[in-house]
Amino acid sequence: MAIALPGPRRDIRSTLARLHWPLIAMLSMIGAAGVLTLYSAAQGSWTPWALQHLARFGMSLGLLIVVALIGMRFWQALAYPIYAVALVALILVPIFGVERLGAQRWIDVGHFQFQPSELMKIGLVLALARYYHGLRVEQVSHLLYLIPPAIMIGAPVGLIFMQPDLGTAMMLAMTGVAIVFLAGLSWRIGFLGLLGGVGAAYAAYYFDILHQYQVERILTFLDPDRDPLGKGYHILQSKIGLGSGGLAGKGYMEGTQSELKFLPEMQTDFIFTIFGEEFGFIGAIFLLALYYMVIMTGVGIALRAKTHFARLVAMGVLVTFALYVLINCGMVMGLAPVVGVPLPLVSYGGTVMITIMVGFGLVMSAHLSREGEGGIGI
Amino acid sequence: MARISSHDPERQEILTRRATLFGGVFTLGLFVIGGRLFQLQIAEHQKYLDLANDNQFNRRVLTPLRGEIVDRFGKPLASNRQTFRLLLIPEQAKDLEAAFDAVHTIVPLSEERRARIRRQMRRRGQGTPIEIEADLSWDEFARINYDLPHLPGVLPEVGEARSYPLGNATAFVVGYVGAVIDKDIAEVVDESEENLLRQPGFKVGRDGLERTYDRELRGVPGALDVKVNAYGRVIEELTESQTSPQQGKTLALTIDAELQLAAMKELEGESASAVVLDVVTGDVLVLASTPAFNPNDFNFGIKPDLWKQLNESPYHPLLNKPIAALYPPGSTFKMISAMAAEMSGISTSFSVSCPGKLWYGNRFFHCWKKGGHGGGINMKNAIKHSCDVYFYTVAKSLDIDVLAEAARKLGLGQKFDLGIPGQKQGVVPSRDWKKAYFAHSPENQTWFPGETLSVIIGQGYVTTTPLQLAVMTARIATGKEVRPRIVRVIGDKELPPNAFPDIDIDPKYFGTIRAGMDAVVNEPGGTAVRSALENPAWRLAGKTGTSQVYAITAADRARGLAKPEDLPWERRDHALFVCYAPFDNPRYACSVVVEHGIGGARMAGPKAREIMRAVLAKDPASREPFDPRKAPLQQQARAG
Repeated sequence: MAIALPGPRRDIRSTLARLHWPLIAMLSMIGAAGVLTLYSAAQGSWTPWALQHLARFGMSLGLLIVVALIGMRFWQALAYPIYAVALVALILVPIFGVERLGAQRWIDVGHFQFQPSELMKIGLVLALARYYHGLRVEQVSHLLYLIPPAIMIGAPVGLIFMQPDLGTAMMLAMTGVAIVFLAGLSWRIGFLGLLGGVGAAYAAYYFDILHQYQVERILTFLDPDRDPLGKGYHILQSKIGLGSGGLAGKGYMEGTQSELKFLPEMQTDFIFTIFGEEFGFIGAIFLLALYYMVIMTGVGIALRAKTHFARLVAMGVLVTFALYVLINCGMVMGLAPVVGVPLPLVSYGGTVMITIMVGFGLVMSAHLSREGEGGIGI
Repeated sequence: MARISSHDPERQEILTRRATLFGGVFTLGLFVIGGRLFQLQIAEHQKYLDLANDNQFNRRVLTPLRGEIVDRFGKPLASNRQTFRLLLIPEQAKDLEAAFDAVHTIVPLSEERRARIRRQMRRRGQGTPIEIEADLSWDEFARINYDLPHLPGVLPEVGEARSYPLGNATAFVVGYVGAVIDKDIAEVVDESEENLLRQPGFKVGRDGLERTYDRELRGVPGALDVKVNAYGRVIEELTESQTSPQQGKTLALTIDAELQLAAMKELEGESASAVVLDVVTGDVLVLASTPAFNPNDFNFGIKPDLWKQLNESPYHPLLNKPIAALYPPGSTFKMISAMAAEMSGISTSFSVSCPGKLWYGNRFFHCWKKGGHGGGINMKNAIKHSCDVYFYTVAKSLDIDVLAEAARKLGLGQKFDLGIPGQKQGVVPSRDWKKAYFAHSPENQTWFPGETLSVIIGQGYVTTTPLQLAVMTARIATGKEVRPRIVRVIGDKELPPNAFPDIDIDPKYFGTIRAGMDAVVNEPGGTAVRSALENPAWRLAGKTGTSQVYAITAADRARGLAKPEDLPWERRDHALFVCYAPFDNPRYACSVVVEHGIGGARMAGPKAREIMRAVLAKDPASREPFDPRKAPLQQQARAG
């Protein structure tokens, strides 16, 4: 199979014109909110975060367009290989990995390090979409046909869980299960599977499989106010930040919670708190509305895509994106445990940004391949 | 796997339904998030705004300086000195053990000390600073400051510590301060007091006047709002809202530091006490006890081995002997005995001949002087020579209750309101007393006349404190109901000067005993002629006393133990001396007790004489006392 390069110049230009520019505009606005907030978090400084974030967003946007231009057929062909590479990398993490903050998640490749778990987020979506692309609807709920996706989901989730990275493992599992549902799994089997999952979670807790800090996080989440200076400190400080922002916010660069360093990891997990503190309820709702529009636009694109594979890939990406948004927001507001999930495109951090933008590259690719209009590439 | 079309309509229909469902679930999720945002940012906005301000602004308690305790001329007995101390804020240190190790490289931190800090931290919470070292040297303080960037949560600070310039000399008068314990916290009256007590390194009075007048000495805390970041670093001090702390009240005492030191020096090396009173005002000029602990050792918590040593010493350096030790008064009691005899109708001219012993009941009662005093011992001479046989003789016709009444009127058997804790009452035996004392053994409740013979020479059941003996002497000297006091001024409140009523005893009964006391010192043959002062204006009247600790038995004599010096120290008799001066116009009274000093004339008298010499030479009563209300204001505030 030959890698398809973009065709003649004329084609590229017309294809570029057919990109879903409103979606790109929305994503850029979210990215700009990130730059703005990171600038404020650094007390009005481009370093160390804002400029880097801007540069990464620019690069990732380029990557998005490249991924989109490459075309869906190519990704369909490479779905399993990409998944396989990601899985192998995950297996290699414990052997060659670099330990950071008590967890092995990174692999050194030449000059840069990358997280195989991030690659797997794309890989799993592709592989599951590829799998269900080849199944008839009545086969989806057949138990025999459930075994391959169970392994496809279970293997990486298990490996990531053992790194240990509970947050990513759960995100991946939820994304995988969501794709299975989208592919048409019957509710009856789904319900039974869910029951099994809850049982497994209970067993994990019961047999001490979770790390102490993971148990602590969940317990603290249940009642963060009981020990304001202990484990619930971060959540409480975050709530104070948001709550004190009020309707219109304290004003840009006027947030005291971040200025006085009451927020931990404010440039990553708790960036929404700074945004909410400075821009208030109005600003926060505006940001949430942007996310809402991105998802709804994405769903529209997915449903109009030409192939089942394209539809499922786009939906998988959107599910991942939605989970990021909901879990991160829930986390900073004390509705979900602190599991280290960033706010997509706003939080500082390169790998997640790349994952998200490559994902939207696939959504864009689905858009280009939409019914009746055809696509470029192979 | 069968080839299927991408346009499988059923498959697409399910996907569409479920994608729509996903969109719905996401919308619902966003509504939940939005609702929560509304709750936090709109509904509960004020609550979180207050919390954010709490985060930002800390109310710092400004610890007031503790009030000073000064002597009658304004010389400090308890004051404050600057110290360099080290605080630790646990929540900022994050890793407590690492912080300990880091500090340890500069200031040694023992495992015990660490354990104590951990305990304190558990009790007081993560946010309260804990004092980890109270008194750093300048060198250590400088090095800590230099290393500060590597010592998160560690806070070097300039603090205040109590200082007792006279050290052990005034240990039992001023007492000492100690760290706040849970019991103090439990007894606070309001939150502001609790906040003050929770200040790191805050001290409360633990003994002496420091304890009794603790609240007066504490002062009023001030407050300062500061803007801090999450690490507790002060970003801004809001000085316009600051209230300054007020130093505690100054206590001005009646004690004369110079004379106190002179008395301490005189008693040095002995287990002894001395009390000097102004007989006109009741002012306690000297309240000395040796040996004494040094209250400066208690400032930062006493070291266990020193504490053990103080506790186990046979000289009782923790016992406030002038007010808390009880001794049989011995012959110093004989003025009371003589007065009671006179009141019972025995003529002052009644005289006895002393053969050295007297048979009474079923045994001999011995005079202190082997061979006796011979004839012509009347009441005055009985005091002058301290003749026991004379008193045995009058005891036979003396009711114990009359004796007890005279003793009480002259100040024995009661406590005086000095404000120093731990005062003992002593025993003035009487029929009622014995009944109460032996309440559980009725066969012992009857008073036997033979017991009066012991009491009349100051032995047996009767016990007194050196303070009571001084009061007794002052009352004999003046005929007034002298009551001692030690605190003269509290802050700007002068305690009303005492005006003492006459004692409820006919003044005619004082003449003979005063003459007897004069003879003791100033007439040839008196028991304390060696204690006379050469200046006639300082004419001393006194009385020796020797109170038996252990009776030398026939068996001891057989072993060759004849003289008291042959006995081990703790079995030797106590030496006592009481006196007043000047004889014609009494102003000062003094009592000296030297434990196991063998003889009052030999051991206690000369010491009392030297103390009185210093007192009379200085004549503190004639000098203008210190008035803190006129004293210049001292530096009042210090940031806490």
